Order: sequence, then structure tokens, then C-alpha cells
Amino acid sequence: MNLFTIPLRNIRRRPSKTLLLLLVFSLGVMSIVALYQVSLVVGYSLEKKLTTFGANIVISPATEKLSVSYGGFHLGDMVFDVQELPEGKTSQAIRSIKLQDRIAAVAPKLVSMTKIGDTSIALVGVHWPEERGIKSYWAAANGRFPEKPDEILVGSQAASKLGMQVGDVVSIYGKNFSVSGILFKTGSDDDSVILVELGVLQTLLNRPDATSFIEVAALCAGCPIEDIVDQISMKLPNTEVKALQNVINQRMASVHFVQKLALSVSLVILVTAAAMIGLSMLSAVNERKKDIGILRSLGYGKSQVFMIFCLEAGFIGALAGFIGYVGGFGASFKALEYLALSEGAVPVFAVAHLLLASAVFALITIVAAVYPAWKGASVDPTTALVAL
Amino acid sequence: MLSAYNITKNYQTNGRVVPVLKEVSVNISEGEFVSIVGRSGSGKTTLLNVLSTLVRPDSGELKYRDDNLALFPEKRLNRLRQSDFAVIFQFHHLLPYLSVLENTLLPFMSSLRPVSKQRVQQARAGLERVGLADKADRLPGNLSGGEQQRVAIARALVKSSRVLFADEPTGSLDKETGKQIMGLLMELHQEGLTVVMVTHEPGYASLAERTIAIEDGTIVH
Ligand SMILES: Nc1ncnc2c1ncn2[C@@H]1O[C@H](COP(=O)(O)OP(=O)(O)O)[C@@H](O)[C@H]1O
Ligand SMILES: [Mg+2]
Repeated sequence: MNLFTIPLRNIRRRPSKTLLLLLVFSLGVMSIVALYQVSLVVGYSLEKKLTTFGANIVISPATEKLSVSYGGFHLGDMVFDVQELPEGKTSQAIRSIKLQDRIAAVAPKLVSMTKIGDTSIALVGVHWPEERGIKSYWAAANGRFPEKPDEILVGSQAASKLGMQVGDVVSIYGKNFSVSGILFKTGSDDDSVILVELGVLQTLLNRPDATSFIEVAALCAGCPIEDIVDQISMKLPNTEVKALQNVINQRMASVHFVQKLALSVSLVILVTAAAMIGLSMLSAVNERKKDIGILRSLGYGKSQVFMIFCLEAGFIGALAGFIGYVGGFGASFKALEYLALSEGAVPVFAVAHLLLASAVFALITIVAAVYPAWKGASVDPTTALVAL
Repeated sequence: MLSAYNITKNYQTNGRVVPVLKEVSVNISEGEFVSIVGRSGSGKTTLLNVLSTLVRPDSGELKYRDDNLALFPEKRLNRLRQSDFAVIFQFHHLLPYLSVLENTLLPFMSSLRPVSKQRVQQARAGLERVGLADKADRLPGNLSGGEQQRVAIARALVKSSRVLFADEPTGSLDKETGKQIMGLLMELHQEGLTVVMVTHEPGYASLAERTIAIEDGTIVH
């Protein structure tokens, strides 16, 4: 028996009213939780899809003097012999950072200048699966993507400059390659280069394990890209790790849009539910003027009367938060199933979140009850008792 | 022990100022049993409420022991009502959703600290005293008017209040029950409790050691 007994007993006295209030608020909490969970998963899968449209982190050797450009950063033809990243070690380091689950793709590259006939051309060694993973927009205008080690893919501009066609055989560093496909115009540096399997190029150049730079596609939802960049930098001290901010910003804008939408709908639901609680408490204050008069005559201060109303609202809020969180969690699975989004990411149930939800919704109902509680506390005890 | 000097109290009704108490002075000694009589609307309840600190007078002085209650902040008045003063009204004593026992312990439930076992014992003893030991776990709705009144008295006992203010405690009761309640009040008075009682009934008023008659907000004797 303590102050809490009073609101608790009062709640029990009106089971139907309390249940109704609880139902409405629980449903509100439920839709908010479900919306939040769904928006997280949708945001995540959206971002995952967006990573196939290019990398957002570039890792390169710390070089100072560079002249040829590819991929938005520079290489010097005379320098790259010395400036290179060991492929195995670097890729492994990237994959082993603390936020490794945020790394969607690692695409290493080796760039080399060569001459075909009289024309200088950049030769870029790539791992086909990784490269195509971050460049889903790539399409072969003619032919197909290379499948064998001695096949190459030629950028559209390079092909026209060199007059190359699908099926042509070209000699590069003394080895014959056949053109398996010509890339559609991409508008990027890829248009003016010849792409070849990385391992083949490394062998040809007698630089096993060498890469010029590595592109990384990272998922930034839920953690800042700076953290990922920092963690990679720590693992790779002699490299330059650069986040492509404009790519990231664009991508996060799409993801955030989904989440902001969910947030605004949640806010509307929340305000409505809180208003209901507030209104119900306000009518309760009028019904309970006599109770207030009795309590005041027994020495209860205004603050204690205030507390009784806040405790009552807070109790309903906490209970609704609990029920709503569990319910909303279940509902989010149904919703994701319905949206066919269940693979990829799954909402994660956390007891800490459940308790947090209870606490937060208790706080919200308490805030909603502040005005009614204040009204109750201000009731003049004598008029309350005179009013029959 | 409790004295009021030149108390005035006005109420605003429909924009008009209505004087309810006009320079009323009362002096109540420790252990005294005082009744307040007067016609309906004469200001008895208002005077009682001023004495029990439920209503702040517009002017005048209120002294309890050596304290000037007019200077007390709200918090100290609350504490006084919690400890020394007990009030019983004509109706509405009990919270309908709390059991009889809980209602008896209500003065001690004002914080999150649980009520002590010792208090619960006292409350049961108090209920025993007023003859309601077997109804401790009932809700007030199941009690008769007289029984509800007795719960309020038991509550005053548990608080070990020094002054009991009663506003027409028998007003809503039948004759027999009213007599029982009066008997109980007399008993408590004989044990040293100071009682200030507003009543309509001359028979009960005469049980008091002293009667204050009030008419139109003025004490006539
Ligand atoms: N809170 C109040 N507001 C306005 N008028 C009041 C209030 N309380 C009492 N009164 C008026 O004061 C007068 C005295 O009331 P009260 O003290 O209750 O008299 P009694 O108890 O003797 O019947 C009545 O005219 C009543 O209408
Ligand atoms: Mg009266």
C-alpha cells in the first residue's frame, strides 16, 4: 500500500474504460512500432539495392604525385609501380573491421597503361562478380560480359577509338584476348578503358596481388559512414580512405525519406493517442473532484494529487507500451511478409527496446496527463466536497 | 489550543461579493468538545473549514498551539492536516475504490513508501474499535452510511489526531445510527480528543461542553 495503490485501484474499478483506453493506446503504439520496424527493414533493403549502383568508399595508396585519372582519383603512370595495395591483405582488412556487416561489396582494381597500335589506353583489372555487384547499371551493348580469363570488356569510347568489335582478338602485353562485349555508354571513366580479369592482369604485369585502388560499397543506415572510414583507416595505415560524400548523401536521402515518412505517420498516431489519454484523464478529474477533496482534507498536497493522476496515466502508458511493442513487433513480420521483404533483414527483438518502449510511452502519457493532473491538483477541496 | 481572531471570509457569487464570515473569533481549548449550531447557510461549514485549514480566510488570525497558521505555507498546512487534524463530513469520506482498510490507512499512503505493518495493525485496531473489524476488506459501497462514518472516525483514530472536526456527522444517518456515532465521538472526547462539531440537532449540540451559535456569519453567543 502506497501512493500507487490509489490510481491502481481506480484503474481496476473501471475495467471496461481502462481496457478501452489501453486498447486504443496499445494499437497506437503497435502501429508505431510496426511502422518503425518496417521502415528500418525497408530502408535497409533499399540501401542494399542502392549499393549496386556504385561504391561509396574508395581506398587508395597514399600517393602524392599522380597524373592519369580513373574512378575519380589519380594515378601516375610512372608512380604506380611503387604505389600499390596488396589485394589479399587489404581486402581482408576491410572485411575484418568492427562494422564488417555494413560492408556490402569490396571491388579491387589494378590500373595499367598500355598501347594498342599507336593508341594509349588504360587497362583495368577487375573481379567480375564484385565489379558487376557494385555496377548493376552496366550492360553490354554488344556481346556479353567476359566469362573466360582471356576475354575482355571494352568501354564504348575505347571501342570506337580503337575500332574494336565483339569477337576481335587483341594482343595485350603479348597475350591474345578476345573482345567478349562492348559496354553501353555509362558516362563514367569506364567508357574509355578496357576491362580485364584482375588475376590475369596481375600475372601479365608480373605483379601478383597488386591493386591500384579498392572500391567499397558500405551500408550507412544506422551508422555514420565516417565510422566505417575511420575503422578502415585504422586497419590500413598507409592508405587514403575516402568517402564519396555526394553518393552517400543521395543514397541516405532516399533511405531517410522512407524513415521520415514512417516517423511523421507515427507522430500523428502518437499525438492522437496521447490526446485521447489526456481527454480521458480530464473527464476523470471532473468525476473525481470528491476524491480529490477527501485526499486534500487528509493532508495530501497538490503535488501528491498531481502524482496520482500522473501515475495512473503512466501506468496505462507503460502497459500499452509493453503490449504495443510486442504486438507491433509481431505485426511488422506480417507486414514484411506481405510486402515480400522478409528476406534480407529481419526486425530484431530486444528486451532493452521493450523496456525502453514502455518507459517512453509511460512518459508520453504522463506528459499528456500533465494538464488534467494540474487541473485535479488545483481543485478546491471544499467546493469539491460541497458539490453533491 | 486553537483560536481564530476576527476571521472574515467572502465568496464571489455571480460577480457579487457575499460575506460569509464577519469578524468571527473562536477559542477552543485542548480536550474541549465544542458544537457549532446555526441555520442552514449561516456559515457553520465555512467556519469549520477555516478552523481545519481547508479554507484560507480573507483576513484574521488563526493560531494552533504557538503557531500562526496564517503564515504557514501550504506544505505545512498539509502536514498538519495529515497529523493533528482530522475531518469528517456529512457524506463523502471514503474513496469508493479502496477497501475499508485502505481507506483507514489513506493518510499514510501519500508517498511511494509502503505503509508500515505497524500502521496496518493500528488501522485494524481502529476498525475493531468502531466495530468494523470484519468489514476491513469490503468496498465502501457495501457499507451503510453509519458504517462509512465510522470508517472515517477509525481513520482519525489511526492518525492519532488531536482535533476532530465533524461537519454534521449525523446529518445523513437515521436516529439510531446517529446516536451510535455520537456515542463514539463522546467516548473519544472523554479519552482526550478535542472535538469541534457542526450540528443541526439541538439534542446532540447539548452533549457538547460548549455551543457556539452562528447567524449570518456572526457569532451570537
Ligand atoms: N465555495 C463557495 N462559493 C460560494 N459561496 C459559498 C461557498 N461556500 C459557501 N458559500 C456560501 O456561503 C454561505 C455559508 O455557507 P456554509 O458555510 O456552507 O453554511 P452552513 O454550513 O451553515 O449551511 C452560503 O450562503 C453558501 O452559499
Ligand atoms: Mg454546512
